[in-house]
Amino acid sequence: MSYELRSHTADVAVEATGDTLGTAFAAAADGLAAAQCDEIPDGGDRFDVSVTAESREAALFEYLDELVLQRDVRGVLPVDNEATVRESDGSWTVEGSARGVPLAELAAREVKAVTYSEMEIAETERGWRVYVVFDV
Amino acid sequence: MTSFRADDVTLERVEENVWEIPREGDMRVAARVFASESLLEAIADDKTLQQLENTTHLPGIVEPAICMPDGHQGYGFPVGGVGAIDADDGCISPGAVGYDINCGVRMVRTSLTYDDLRGRESDLVDRLFEAIPSGLGGGGVVETDRETVDEILDRGVEWAVDNGYGVADDLTHCEDEGRRPDADPDAVTTDAKARGKDQVGSLGSGNHFLEVQRVTDVYRPEVASAFGLEADQVVVLIHCGSRGLGHQTCTDYLRKIERRHGDLLERLPDRELAAAPSGSVLAADYYGAMCAAINFAWVNRQLIMHRTRQVFEDVFDRSWRDLGMDLLYDVAHNIAKRETHSVNGDDRDLYVHRKGATRAFPAGHPDVPAAYRDVGQPVIIPGSMGAGSYVLRGGDRSLDRSFGSTAHGAGRVMSRTRAKDQFRGGDVQHALREQHIYVRARSGATVAEEAPGVYKDVDEVVRVSDALGIGDTVARTYPVCNIKG
Repeated sequence: MSYELRSHTADVAVEATGDTLGTAFAAAADGLAAAQCDEIPDGGDRFDVSVTAESREAALFEYLDELVLQRDVRGVLPVDNEATVRESDGSWTVEGSARGVPLAELAAREVKAVTYSEMEIAETERGWRVYVVFDV
Repeated sequence: MTSFRADDVTLERVEENVWEIPREGDMRVAARVFASESLLEAIADDKTLQQLENTTHLPGIVEPAICMPDGHQGYGFPVGGVGAIDADDGCISPGAVGYDINCGVRMVRTSLTYDDLRGRESDLVDRLFEAIPSGLGGGGVVETDRETVDEILDRGVEWAVDNGYGVADDLTHCEDEGRRPDADPDAVTTDAKARGKDQVGSLGSGNHFLEVQRVTDVYRPEVASAFGLEADQVVVLIHCGSRGLGHQTCTDYLRKIERRHGDLLERLPDRELAAAPSGSVLAADYYGAMCAAINFAWVNRQLIMHRTRQVFEDVFDRSWRDLGMDLLYDVAHNIAKRETHSVNGDDRDLYVHRKGATRAFPAGHPDVPAAYRDVGQPVIIPGSMGAGSYVLRGGDRSLDRSFGSTAHGAGRVMSRTRAKDQFRGGDVQHALREQHIYVRARSGATVAEEAPGVYKDVDEVVRVSDALGIGDTVARTYPVCNIKG
């Protein structure tokens, strides 16, 4: 799994890949962290996240939004993300975990929100690729 | 030049600084761009024009959909966009307001001159930086609980004044007197309140900042006098929004609308334009929640102003009243408001969406505060750290040209990722220091991302606004101290 930050006039985009949909989602979540902080320190406790949505795109949106919410509520930057994605009867569930680095221990800037703008989730020869724009 | 072509979009020149995308295909109305040729070339450099055209697909939109001279690509709706939509037979769109509901600016006057400040800039910027929460996780001026958040959402700046964070005069110098009466705190989700409760009185990061400035130019002395501005005067500009509470409110309603009004969404060219039909439960709920978030943002800027007054008292050893630190005005630039406008001779109730656009009502309009009704509503246009900012007043042509709106800033031309490749935060700070501008930031990357070179020419933006008569230049200010997240 890997990610790269991509240019966007006012905001930041993340392109992420993974062998599975879950690892691609987790890589996008790591990109979300990288968009906020250049040097991520050790430390912090892991916590779980779980979301369910009506489509693959909505599941990615909800998953990343949950991480933004947990960042502000817990006061931590979610990093080293892990995730699995499963579909059942048209309902998509993401179960993941993240290491929460206390915000007081790092110099970070804020991503305000996840957006649907230009969002792409595509299966490739090597696995999955996702593209998501964050409002900064 | 009589026409301008960019990718799949062709614009016809209507008059100087006015370009039109004629109605065709599924467009419900024509769209207009207010720009000089040089600004139009910058606007056409990304997907702004396509996004503007997409907005014309929203049900009930009234001609024209507009892109301001500082417009740039956003998500769904372009930043710098104005979309006036029939409030009874149209829709309301969270994406056309933006995630940062009531992102806006307030300007505080002082009786100090630049000479009074010289020699104390370093001390002042350090003290402001220590006193004003900024960045990610920096907390707020006050810690609140859920009950207090509900009261802030309901009462806006009235709550702040009643709790010692302001005075009655602050209310009369704020858009809507600091309170949206349509606010519905119950329509704001528990998640949004949880994000906002520890952020009341905080700048955040990105392009938000607090700046001590000096007035360098006065263009309309009689209006400047009514605004209490004169050359060489020191003022403070505060630019921020509704923080996590507003961001979450937009997100929550985007998803609710997507689930409940998927049929409408399927007919729109961009998912970020998700809209609730006029008269629907979600339209009413979103409007109530958005108005509550507007109140939250006004309180946010009020508390930052309160803390700023305290810092000035410490640095200059005089009370803030002696220092003349009165609020000049506070105005939103990410907002939707139900307003009555004349359309082809008929009065119509419209949801006027201003996303990266500022209300700019002219002299005499009843919604302009009494203090400024004779000269027009103050409009504050923040520029970059190196280029300065402008104070405008609502122009005589704003109601017939732009639903009472003008620009909101300089507008970006360079992405954040490219800015970080091109600039180093320390170098930018050093270069600004050479221009006698003192900058403090939580993150060096933020300074690089907000370097003066990443923005359009703010002088050209306000020149176009003035030439079109939608927002008239009154005064220009130049930064002295800047703090950011």
